[in-house]
Amino acid sequence: MSRPLRIVHYVNQFFAGIGGEDQAHVGVSVREGPVGPGRALQQALGDAAEVVATLVCGDNFMSERQADALAEIGAALRRLAPDAVVAGPAFGSGRYGLACAHVCRVAREQGIPAVAAMHPENPGATSFRRDVVIVPTGESAASMQPALERVARLALRLGRPEELGPAELEGYLPQGKRRVHDRGRPGWQRALDMLRAKLHGRPFTTEVPYNAPEQVMPAPPIADLTRATIAMVTTGGLVRKGNPERQSAANAVRYHRHSVASLESLTPEDWEAYHAGYFNHIVNKNPNYILPLSFLRELEKAGRVGHVHEHIYALPGVSTPVAGARELGRAIAQDLKHAGVDGALLVAT
Amino acid sequence: MISAIYNFALTTGANRVVRGARIEHVCGDPSLGPEKDHAYGMRIVTTALDALATPVARPTLFDPLAPGPTREAVHAS
Repeated sequence: MSRPLRIVHYVNQFFAGIGGEDQAHVGVSVREGPVGPGRALQQALGDAAEVVATLVCGDNFMSERQADALAEIGAALRRLAPDAVVAGPAFGSGRYGLACAHVCRVAREQGIPAVAAMHPENPGATSFRRDVVIVPTGESAASMQPALERVARLALRLGRPEELGPAELEGYLPQGKRRVHDRGRPGWQRALDMLRAKLHGRPFTTEVPYNAPEQVMPAPPIADLTRATIAMVTTGGLVRKGNPERQSAANAVRYHRHSVASLESLTPEDWEAYHAGYFNHIVNKNPNYILPLSFLRELEKAGRVGHVHEHIYALPGVSTPVAGARELGRAIAQDLKHAGVDGALLVAT
Repeated sequence: MISAIYNFALTTGANRVVRGARIEHVCGDPSLGPEKDHAYGMRIVTTALDALATPVARPTLFDPLAPGPTREAVHAS
């Protein structure tokens, strides 16, 4: 038999037995062997793996001095070189859940597989379940034992290392990824079974779960448009004529920012659309159809809006995975906010 | 967000959605001729600016083609 896998376990100050909220400020420490729930984790792992060390950090320290805490965690992981990292279970505790997700991300950046456990509504899960393998638990530590058993099973699979199957079979939160596996029966039979179940009002499980889009809190309205700075963003694939920046026509991994400070309008001599998802020729004759600079300049002159922001943002919004699109959107929004922009028009083709 | 496929924008959670003309020419319509095209584009953009100045609680459609000076906001159900 091969040597037991080396597992490093992350817990917060409470589960390490240091204390509750009054001790949430404590920094990162490394203990040898299992601590607290790590002992039950060790039992669940059996002979196949050994909890060689436990990383401990106070929840407040982790959230308030995250960069420092994660740097220490990263250094400890490099030194300990485990086969897999287990974080939590954090149950319904928000700061602890986020800490577990971050620890797993740090581990993964070093090529160490990691698994966390927490309640599906924990902010750590809602924010990071696409990036981190997360085992769902109940809201409280009452669900500790079953949670540890599932975590242990996944930690062993990941540490060997084995490729994980689909979330529904392996028992982790769906990550919005499709994984190839053999379901045993052809698709048409499974589809007919589902249809029959649906028509008879019986429960069935879809193989293509619907990922509800996240809800965004609406921004408050602009109080006075005549004093507002308005920016323009387009997913219509606007590029400088000839595409000198070599933007892709689909599945963009970056956006481009252009200055329009000296421009009254976008002319077809200087701009065009490069976008694989629609017929570009009409925009190529009048690029203002996807980025309405000419209109906004008129309204600026008429005093209807305060200022047109000096920069525009463009990318082709087609075939981009949601995770990538979210990052691009976040970066653009941050840039706009940093520049003091009050509102933005996003033209989507 | 100005989009011709505004239903998609609403169901995916955009909070202020303005109905654009068509996918190939969101802010205007060249088939109307230069003058009407310009007027239509201007109406779309001013509707978008009005949307930015309007409080919303959920994904809401602002329709530049709706009649009247105060355009009715339609909520996504």
